[in-house]
Amino acid sequence: MEVLKEKVEEEEEAEREEAAERGKKMMRPVEMRREEPPMTQEMLRDLEKKLSEIEIVIPEQPSIITKDTIDISKLPLSYQSNTLKEEHLLEVADNFARQYSHLCPDRVPLFLHPLNECGVPKFVSTTIRPTLMPYPELYNWDSCAQFVSDFLSMVPLPDPLQPPSHLYSSTTVLKHQKGNCFDFSTLLCSMLIGAGYDAYCVNGYGSQDLCHMDLTRDVCPLTMKHKEVVQEEEKVPPKKYTIKPPRDLNSRFEQEQEMKKQEELQGEEERRRKEEEQRLLEVEKAKTDPLHGLRVHSWVLVLSGKREMPESFYIDPFTARSYSTQDDHFLGIESLWNHKNYWVNMQDCWNGCKDLVFDLGDPVRWEYLLLGTDKAPLSVAEEEDDTMNDDDNDDVENLGKEDEDKSFDMASSWVEQIEISPEAFETRCPNGKKVIQYKRAKLEKWAPYLNSNGLVCRLTTYEDLECTMTLEIKEWFQNREDTLQLRHINKSTGLNIDYFKPGHPQALRVHAYKSMQPEMDRVMEFYETARVDGLIKREETPKTMTEYYRGRSDFLSYRHVDFGDRVKKLALNSAESNPRPMVKITERFSRNPEKPADEDVAERVFLIPEERTQLRYHCRDDHITASRREFLRRTEVDSKGNKIIMTPDMCINFEVEPVEHTKKLLYQYEAMMKLKNEEKLSRHQAWESELEVLEILKLREEEEGAHTLTISIYDTKRNEKSKEYREAMEHVMHEEHLRQVEAQLDYLAPFLAPFPPGEKLTHWQAVQVRDECLSDFKQRLIDKANLIQARFEKETQELQKQQQWYQENQVTLTAEDKAWYLSYYSQAVFRMRILEQRLNRHRELAPLKYLALEEKLHKDPRLVEFLEVFI
Amino acid sequence: MHRLYNSVEPRVMDEDMLKLAVGEQGPKEEAGQLARQEGILFKDVLSLRLDFQNILRIDSLWQFENLRKLQLDNNIIEKIEGLEHLVHLVWLDLSFNNIEAIEGLDTLVNLEDLSLFNNRISKIDSLDALVKLQVLSLGNNQIGNMMNIIYLRRFKDLRTLSLSGNPIAELEDYKMFICAHLPDLVYLDFHRIDDHMKELAESKHQYSMDELKHRENLIQAQLDDERAQQEELEKHKAAFVEHLNSPFLFDSMYAEDVEGNKLASLPGVSELLQAYKDKFVTICLNIFEYGLKQQEKRKLELDTFNECVQEAIQENQEQGKRRIAKFEEKHLLSLNAIRDESDLINIEVKILEYSEDITELFNVLMTLEMQLVEQLEETINMFERNIIDLVALFIENVQSLMAQCRDLENHHHEKLLEISINTLEKILKGELDEDLPDDLRALFVDKDTIVNAVGASHDIHLLKIDNREDELVTRTNSWCAHLVDTIHKNEMMRNRGRVKEISQYIDHMQNELDSLECSDVID
Repeated sequence: MEVLKEKVEEEEEAEREEAAERGKKMMRPVEMRREEPPMTQEMLRDLEKKLSEIEIVIPEQPSIITKDTIDISKLPLSYQSNTLKEEHLLEVADNFARQYSHLCPDRVPLFLHPLNECGVPKFVSTTIRPTLMPYPELYNWDSCAQFVSDFLSMVPLPDPLQPPSHLYSSTTVLKHQKGNCFDFSTLLCSMLIGAGYDAYCVNGYGSQDLCHMDLTRDVCPLTMKHKEVVQEEEKVPPKKYTIKPPRDLNSRFEQEQEMKKQEELQGEEERRRKEEEQRLLEVEKAKTDPLHGLRVHSWVLVLSGKREMPESFYIDPFTARSYSTQDDHFLGIESLWNHKNYWVNMQDCWNGCKDLVFDLGDPVRWEYLLLGTDKAPLSVAEEEDDTMNDDDNDDVENLGKEDEDKSFDMASSWVEQIEISPEAFETRCPNGKKVIQYKRAKLEKWAPYLNSNGLVCRLTTYEDLECTMTLEIKEWFQNREDTLQLRHINKSTGLNIDYFKPGHPQALRVHAYKSMQPEMDRVMEFYETARVDGLIKREETPKTMTEYYRGRSDFLSYRHVDFGDRVKKLALNSAESNPRPMVKITERFSRNPEKPADEDVAERVFLIPEERTQLRYHCRDDHITASRREFLRRTEVDSKGNKIIMTPDMCINFEVEPVEHTKKLLYQYEAMMKLKNEEKLSRHQAWESELEVLEILKLREEEEGAHTLTISIYDTKRNEKSKEYREAMEHVMHEEHLRQVEAQLDYLAPFLAPFPPGEKLTHWQAVQVRDECLSDFKQRLIDKANLIQARFEKETQELQKQQQWYQENQVTLTAEDKAWYLSYYSQAVFRMRILEQRLNRHRELAPLKYLALEEKLHKDPRLVEFLEVFI
Repeated sequence: MHRLYNSVEPRVMDEDMLKLAVGEQGPKEEAGQLARQEGILFKDVLSLRLDFQNILRIDSLWQFENLRKLQLDNNIIEKIEGLEHLVHLVWLDLSFNNIEAIEGLDTLVNLEDLSLFNNRISKIDSLDALVKLQVLSLGNNQIGNMMNIIYLRRFKDLRTLSLSGNPIAELEDYKMFICAHLPDLVYLDFHRIDDHMKELAESKHQYSMDELKHRENLIQAQLDDERAQQEELEKHKAAFVEHLNSPFLFDSMYAEDVEGNKLASLPGVSELLQAYKDKFVTICLNIFEYGLKQQEKRKLELDTFNECVQEAIQENQEQGKRRIAKFEEKHLLSLNAIRDESDLINIEVKILEYSEDITELFNVLMTLEMQLVEQLEETINMFERNIIDLVALFIENVQSLMAQCRDLENHHHEKLLEISINTLEKILKGELDEDLPDDLRALFVDKDTIVNAVGASHDIHLLKIDNREDELVTRTNSWCAHLVDTIHKNEMMRNRGRVKEISQYIDHMQNELDSLECSDVID
């Protein structure tokens, strides 16, 4: 291997040297294309020569799939040779290339028939193998592109200024999971055409970022915030009887002046912000690329029309991003092809791809290789229109003409069917891991079940461009048993937010916290429909706890508890054993439609140390004030020493409409007693809430520690139970099979062994074999009987010995020994009886078995012909 | 079974007895002390037990207006009476008495549980008012006719029934019959009815049940029909054009018109009459349709107005509420501050500040209210103008249509007169061929008689038309006046209520402050 590598390196060395020379040649067409060279050609050539020399110094990554890693011999025949039609096609292509170089001498040679992995030249169009994948996820272009970009790891072109010399089949590329941009786009194109898109592979020039799959200057799509669509409220036209607003007594002039001032200030602000942005952009802008416009890249073009695509666009196969055809990253197109034809761009690319018209039927703009394409030329009148939609019309008009007048059609693809195994599809990235660096962000992806904690994706956002200061981390999880879905860690504030899917044992939905210690700042949100108490949200600070409820039968919607300082105790000082004293409990209730507003409590405040209770009732529909009531519990003693139960000043009332019966002390007393009980209840509930928080925290800690993953019952590979079951079944099958094999055991084999196999036996030999077999069997039967007999005798002797010993020592024996002897005796008798039975049975069966064997031997195909004669 | 009430002295339900019972059954312990201190009003009592009191006659219960539960069991009551005022009653126990007929329960619409166990009742009836009845206990009575069960079908909520100890309970078919006829029943004679039983009963009594149901459905459909018709008529009445969609008015014109009816048998008159009727009815229909349309318009106008007014009031209330909420927040703080303040001068200052706040709140709230009053007044006036215009237009148009009716009548009258005079002439000349009825012929004595007869008929017709028109106009106008009046009155009530509410609130705040001041001074 070492030697091989050196060889490869040597080759690359040579290639690099060549590249320098070619670089010089290459310049010419580019210059021609640029209509307004800013400098004299001499200077430019000089400069570019220098620059290209610098470029050469940069060591290139050696291509990892080399010819030698591919086992050519296992590839199908179509890979190793060309059919007649393909040969013909290659001739046509060569002819075309000759004419082309003759007509356009200053353009680079066409990328027509690179060598495949077997070193056979293959036309590029036949390398595209349209395939529809059996995964529904891969039916749309975005998911397809994402898959290709995830599945393959990128290898830069050996020479960034030239298309590669080899173009491997998609099957090989998929096997090795790596490839250059041409491999990427060929695979993607095959999949897209298979899915019904009008897709083309493009050979062209791209920006440095594009060619190196460098996303560090792009904003990560995951960090982009969705713009909230502001729904403008429809202004209801004022109705006929809408009241007139009160007269506005403010000066309009002053208002206008104020507005003007505000606008000026805003304008100033805006300008400053813009300048700031400009400055930032300047900083972020990368240094210019010396090889700008020369870097060869391949991507996919999807034309509008099929699959209801409204517009044509590019897909960069490395990043799976779609770009408009006017994008700055794409600097020129040499040629493009699909599985049917090959087109050469005849349009000028001085302005990148911005002015290109993708009307492939127009022979002035696109030179086709094969006649009879499905792209008919546009009419002359429409030629000025640069819109892409024209293609649609032509498609429809020329549907009928497609088949006629085809002088030569494209050979079918030599590539095998593209196949992706479900395992590979699930693992996606090579080794199941992928890292993408974005501008101020890093995205890591893993295959499901690869990480033991279920982590599948992590997005790290940085503050600076060098990615040293972490701003926040977002982690996505899958298949976790605690249904954790997303964890958001904000490094600057230290705030962690966990998001859960429905199904957490505590119905947790969101958990925002800074530390897992109880009685700290935290917010928990719940799936309230999964909870009996209808809790939506619980917010905690060190001194307070606020709970929000919905849909409770007691109409409680809000509870706020203020805690005081914990009373110091010498004993255990945990939250559970020594709860903090509650100072104030505020509860709010929504309106109970069954009660009149004056009796429906809206807010209840228990001031616990003061023994004061404040009630505020709901407001009636047509009122602006609400009833209020305040109870002050005091235990006082009157002059005679009797306890005062209730005095009018213990209850302060404000009633919207005074009612007689509420003035009564009895009523107030009863209300107060009821409140006393309710206060107890509320305190208890608050205490329970505290306990629940502790419990949840404990549970979360356990879950975090265990981080078990759930496995779907349909996942037969990962599901242990089903796997065990399956293995058990297989085991049973295997044993069954073994038994069958045993049943077919050849009893004649040892006796036939001395004779050479394949040769026919003589009569005498046959008889000998049979007799030997029978006598052997007889001997075995006798041996078996003897064995049983021997065992029986041994057992009898033993028993006699024991009996003797027992009788001798009967007097001195302990109870234990006695018991032991008795049990031994019964067992021995049992064994003897069994042996006796077995012997009898053997005696009965032996002759039968003997006869059966004889019969079998008679019918044995190897002996039968001799024995029959004998009989 | 029946106690010999002769042997014991019947007692009278009087004030003392009730007071005693209320006191005994009232609150206990500390609450009881308070209750004794204050006394309990009968109207506050929710539950009363008067068993084993040898009561003969129910009396003196009218004060217990809020009573929910009343137990009068084990007495010697013979007649259900004196319960008319206990409309909130939910639970009534009259078991172990000597009642012979169910009566006097017509006002107890909230009753859910009624026990008449061990009485002398022989027929179930007079329970129609008890629409919420769930539990009915009629055991140990003398009900002997199965048909009483059918009466119970009208109680849709009835779930528990006991009839054991009645003659019908001895019947073989007793259970089956009840299960079939009361399919919603869950407990019968304190046993749960199982599904199997229900099925059996259903299949056994299917025919009679089907028939019964069919009859009930028919009656129900008829009732629905009548109700729908009634509603339709109400709607037409609200549009002031009732009966104008039928030849009702025309028929009524001829209903009291003796001469007209007689003249109708003149040759040629019947055709004339038919044509007249057709035209007349068409105009009536026009009026009818126009009336409905106008009614819609008025309704729309009224709805828009109400909606707008409601919106305005809501908006205003919201503002007021916000103000008060803001004030209350501040109020809590300042009250506490005053309580905590020890310096007398500071207290003075704060109290002053606070009372200023109160005054300001009062001013703000009153301003808001006055503003609303002004705005509403303007709107109401506008609405008043519009609705009066609408009504005027309606009346005008109806009047013109009515004038058409009158024209038709005049025309008809002329024609009729002509025919009559022609006939008279013919009769006088003896040329008339046909035979005329005698009473008609009696009219053709001379010209005056016949002209008078025709004229009388005409007058009656005109009178009828005028009456209908007058009725319509008066009713429309009075409706309009009433509507406007109500709106004004409501607005006034609202305004007064709000002002009262505000001043009450401000008074309360002021009082609180005053009491604080007093206590401070005392301190």
